[in-house]
Amino acid sequence: MQQPNKIAEYLEVVRQQIRWKRAQSPVLEEIENHIIDQKEAFMSDGLNEEAATARAIAEMGDPVVVGEQLDRAHRPRPDWPLLVMTATMLLLGLAIQIWIGPNHLNNGAEMFQKQIIRAGIAIPVMFAAYFVDFTIIGKYPKVVFFTLCAITLASYLFTGGSRATSTIYLLLLFPTAFAGFVYRMGNKGYGGLILCEVVFIIPAYFSIYAHNVSVFFLLCTTCLIILTAAVVNGWFDVRKLFAMLIIYVSTAVVLSIPFLVMSGGRYILNRLQLVLNPSLDPTRAGYIGTMIQRFLSHSQFIGEGLPISGYGGYSASQLLPAADTDFLLTYMIYRLGWIVLIGIIAIFTAFIIRAVLLCKKQKGVLGLLVSLAIISTFAVQCMVYIAFDLGFLLFPPVSLPLISYGGRALVTNMCLIGFLLSVFRTGNLVTDKAGVSVAKPSRFIQYDNGQIIINLKTK
Amino acid sequence: MAIDKSLLTGSTTMLILKLLDETNMYGYQMIEELRKKSNNAFELKAGTLYPLLHTLEQRNMLTSYEETADNARVRKYYSITKNGRKHLKEKKEEWKAYTAAVNDVLGGASFATA
Repeated sequence: MQQPNKIAEYLEVVRQQIRWKRAQSPVLEEIENHIIDQKEAFMSDGLNEEAATARAIAEMGDPVVVGEQLDRAHRPRPDWPLLVMTATMLLLGLAIQIWIGPNHLNNGAEMFQKQIIRAGIAIPVMFAAYFVDFTIIGKYPKVVFFTLCAITLASYLFTGGSRATSTIYLLLLFPTAFAGFVYRMGNKGYGGLILCEVVFIIPAYFSIYAHNVSVFFLLCTTCLIILTAAVVNGWFDVRKLFAMLIIYVSTAVVLSIPFLVMSGGRYILNRLQLVLNPSLDPTRAGYIGTMIQRFLSHSQFIGEGLPISGYGGYSASQLLPAADTDFLLTYMIYRLGWIVLIGIIAIFTAFIIRAVLLCKKQKGVLGLLVSLAIISTFAVQCMVYIAFDLGFLLFPPVSLPLISYGGRALVTNMCLIGFLLSVFRTGNLVTDKAGVSVAKPSRFIQYDNGQIIINLKTK
Repeated sequence: MAIDKSLLTGSTTMLILKLLDETNMYGYQMIEELRKKSNNAFELKAGTLYPLLHTLEQRNMLTSYEETADNARVRKYYSITKNGRKHLKEKKEEWKAYTAAVNDVLGGASFATA
């Protein structure tokens, strides 16, 4: 749109005062609209265009003063409560590793040192993610998504096939990338919706190949949440009820396939039976379940649990494998009491509720979907972990975010939290203006008649 | 009667919240409304209004949304939140107490209770 030079000059002076670059254009647009409204009002009062423009600008006030006031109103602010909770969880995790250290069969001090180094890596990663402009995910969703696919595939192929633990953590990044993809499919109707489901198959397959039912469950849950939120917000421009039906029926059909195949069905049934009643096979497949039940039934509200008889002179940390990673919570409940569980649930719930509240306040769909993706990735990990440590062994835990032992999980989760904070820092300035979601940015990679064109000139 | 600007500054927040308490508006509308309602006594500078609106939004007293007007321009509408209503109520009480006190000192009937 062409605008008279005087208005542009005025806006430029205002712009120079606002230091936070991201805030500039939405703010200036509002001011510009105001000046034009005012100018038109003066013109309908009988002034000519030039005089009307001059008066409209004069009404606005000194551009330097206005700009300075706007600058003061717009400073990037991190969400301190979330940042404090993140720091608390991280420190709590390290404190627990110190406490648990001497009980290890292995050398606890060395393991603690390792965890400190990992925290030292995770913190800068979090801050790096915090300063990344999250709208990249919405601008180049395919590039982000398929690059992540390529990295995941590479890690799967090169780091040990079916036991690919690195792959698992890379998969945790998929819901976030998926959110960007869903965003890009805005206004594309049922075709867009179906395409989202098709794309989802890729990470789902990775998780199956990595033999990780928990990550599979996590991906299904988070991506369903993202798609549901997008449909509810009218993002696909389709009939909401019908779209929901498509999403949930297709998911249900795909998930029920293993049950319908005879051998698969029997295997799953057996497993479920054992999960619900580990005492069916207490020394072999049901050993862990039986152990957890024993530990928990001997735990007290506060203080160390009652001694467990019948297992010789082994200590609690010896009876429970991986007391620092997968069974950290069970072990702590036994050693310190149920109060630990209450505390852990309290801090995670506080984090999740705060994040959901901020997520609901997002003005743009991209901010909403990306933050929702991260929150659900975080929440499902917590729930799976807590359920597992309370004896529900269907889904082996990925990690208790920021707390359980393990570097890759820590770095991945800190990266996600950094990104979440980035959304909350700038999300309020990113709205879905009419047309923006449909307008295509200059394509980075184009597919044309069997050729792939990579356009390096994009911004 | 022209009114000393310093009298307006302190109460602008209250006036804006009051306007939005009735209906959602965009910035230009607020200035016009304020002018009309006060019989041209309140001439709020747009340059003061926007920083104030943005600050109030950050303090959770207002929320904003965008709507495309007939002329295809995108307008940013503001609406008051529960928090904003609470703040408005407090400000009103404060204002009543203040004007009553001023009137007491000046002597004569208390106009504030009218």
